Amino acid sequence: MKKVMRLLSVELWAVLTDMLSLGKSRTKKPKVLYAGLLFFVAVLSVVSFMYSLMIGTVLRMNQSLEYLPAIIMAAACVIIVMTTVFKVKGTVFGFRDYDLLMSLPVSISEIIASRLVILYSFNFIFVIILIVPMMAAYGILAQPSILFYLICSIVMFFLPLVPIVIASFLGTAIALAASKFRHQNVLNILFSIGLMVSFIGLSFLFDGNEQQLTDLGRTMINQVESIYPLAPLFLKAVVEYDLFALVLFIGISILAFFLYTVLVKIIFKKMNTAMMTGTARANFKMRELKTSSPWKALYIKEVKRFFASPLYVLNTGIGIVLLTIGTIAIIFVDLGTLLGDPLAAAQITVNFPLAISFCVVMTCPSTASISLEGRSLWIMKSLPVTYKQVYISKVAVNFSIVAPAILDAAIIGYVLKLGMTETFLLVLVTTASAVFVSLLGLLLNLIMPNFTWISEVTVIKQSAAMIVMIFLGFTYVGIQILLLFAIRSFLLVYGVFLILTIVLNIILYVALITYGKKRYMEL
Amino acid sequence: MLLGVSFEVSFVLTCRGTAGGGIMLKITNLSKSYKSDKKAVDSLNLQVDSGDIFGFIGHNGAGKTTTIRAVVGILDFEEGDITIDGISIKDNPVACKQKMAYIPDNPDLYEHLSGIAYLNFIGDIYQVGKAERMELIERYANAFELTPNLGDSISSYSHGMKQKLAIISAFIHKPKLLVLDEPFVGLDPKAAYTLKLFMSDLCKEGSAIFFSTHVLEVAEKLCNKIAIIKGGRLVSCGTTEEVKGNSSLEDVFLELIETK
Repeated sequence: MKKVMRLLSVELWAVLTDMLSLGKSRTKKPKVLYAGLLFFVAVLSVVSFMYSLMIGTVLRMNQSLEYLPAIIMAAACVIIVMTTVFKVKGTVFGFRDYDLLMSLPVSISEIIASRLVILYSFNFIFVIILIVPMMAAYGILAQPSILFYLICSIVMFFLPLVPIVIASFLGTAIALAASKFRHQNVLNILFSIGLMVSFIGLSFLFDGNEQQLTDLGRTMINQVESIYPLAPLFLKAVVEYDLFALVLFIGISILAFFLYTVLVKIIFKKMNTAMMTGTARANFKMRELKTSSPWKALYIKEVKRFFASPLYVLNTGIGIVLLTIGTIAIIFVDLGTLLGDPLAAAQITVNFPLAISFCVVMTCPSTASISLEGRSLWIMKSLPVTYKQVYISKVAVNFSIVAPAILDAAIIGYVLKLGMTETFLLVLVTTASAVFVSLLGLLLNLIMPNFTWISEVTVIKQSAAMIVMIFLGFTYVGIQILLLFAIRSFLLVYGVFLILTIVLNIILYVALITYGKKRYMEL
Repeated sequence: MLLGVSFEVSFVLTCRGTAGGGIMLKITNLSKSYKSDKKAVDSLNLQVDSGDIFGFIGHNGAGKTTTIRAVVGILDFEEGDITIDGISIKDNPVACKQKMAYIPDNPDLYEHLSGIAYLNFIGDIYQVGKAERMELIERYANAFELTPNLGDSISSYSHGMKQKLAIISAFIHKPKLLVLDEPFVGLDPKAAYTLKLFMSDLCKEGSAIFFSTHVLEVAEKLCNKIAIIKGGRLVSCGTTEEVKGNSSLEDVFLELIETK
């Protein structure tokens, strides 16, 4: 136990320092960064509360308020599965310090325990951010007895267990299946995108035809049950105070997690060996080489870096994939028929331009592109290339990845019958936003780099730069929403937004070539 | 008097070249601090001429890697100047880097690339012509017995294989100045021998080599000039014969490190 705690403290400290990019100046930054992190968690909690309150209000109008806890619980589980699926490789299996840890006088069980506790801890934070605000919102709307809060608080601790197990199985299966192929990363990315899309598709399609507004809660819970079978137990335990359901829910969660840990223990060495053994063939024969200009070489290198990591692709590129799928969907699928409600479909359609902005700000590989140089940073710094060439190659790759959004915007403008001027404006705003996200991401990563990461997860998902990027990205979309509420003219809103984005882009560019130049030497 | 070599420590030692060739590397009054109170490198002066194989030795933390990283333009420095073939690294880093190649002590390369993709990337950056690039890659990869592995991902390479790949990438653009930090660590005896041959060949063609090593035997046999650094300052510098006198380099090194 003592060893587990020691391993855990070392691991957590490593993750925390990676996350906050403390790097060399440990004495200076933490206060600001801890404050920033707390602020971010606070903002997320407020957003989560508003979301719960909004859903709860709609549900109450339809006499289905009791479904709110289960819906939020399912949302938490979906988030855990989606985020953990790509963390399994790098946390439980295939982590970088595997050799070092295995050489220490600690048992495999102790190593596994420390790894799983880390996985659990981060997911538990997610659960708190979603469930506690839900408890507050439900408390305001339903005024339940004290038992609700008590049971909810107990259940919260067991909530992440089953999703972690599901995610671990999926993540391991994907990584293992992909490792059998030479181009394993491409397959890994395709498997994962397929999984995500089918997940989202399932939640949309299930019982969609009979959906009526009057039966919204029932339909939602049907969807929730279809995604996560433990939801009815949770519902019974939390809302109906059913002790048997509570015990069963906790029992199933613990049993699933226990069986999972036993399985991990059995396959730990084998899996790590399989995942960490490269697919070396040693049969290369010299062939004609393709030559490129230095700039193109840098660009290609960045593209290869992007596609080399499924985690990187899925976390910083999924926005554009979803947007493109959504765009194709609105061309070929009539949302009204799909959702069974023309009003809801119209509402979704009207908000599509906002969806474009949302997906664009989510597509930010440049936010991790400096940190991902990692211990190879010396290569870039010793090559005869300028800091500008390096930055532009990273910005250009981000822009290329987000560029399909421009085409999506044009298609959406056409499908929504926005008119020539409005469509053109939408395309311009999308282009400017694509530049914005590419420049901002790079600048944030320059301010908060981390080159000593052990797992890519820490710079791609948990770094300070990424957290700030998400926050600023959401603020950027939030401004757009506010403008739409305040000024009810599409042309005016997007005109103002375009000018605002162009000004921001100029400021960011100037910051990159002035501050960025100085910063490059300090890296 | 230390084994026939005596130096005054009260002045800042300056190491000037002796050969008739051009000056490939000139370090003038280089100082670098990581914290305000302690200098990692202190007023260092050094010159490497065309044709030199210059060994840079010192114990751990003496300032070797800091000096090397400043030379190759990775690390900024507060005082002094460094010129490569007459060009200041501060004023025109790209032109300097175009003439140089650097191999660090730990060859962390782009693991997501295959060996050949990495070499091609380096060839593109240094604009090495296609035919010459292919010829040189074949020549060096064959010599280091790495050709069959060039199609594999660098992530599957051992430490030694990565080191070999880094060495090949440095040689394929024929640098005028080759800077190496502990180049023999991780190499098998045959590869170490091959590297020494290529280092000699490169210098015969008019380039210069500046490298750090803890293997004093190699430095003694391979280098025509040697500098010893301690606490960020040069404590001895000159031709190998001048530095070691009648003793072995090991004896001189140990005595200098112990007493100064």
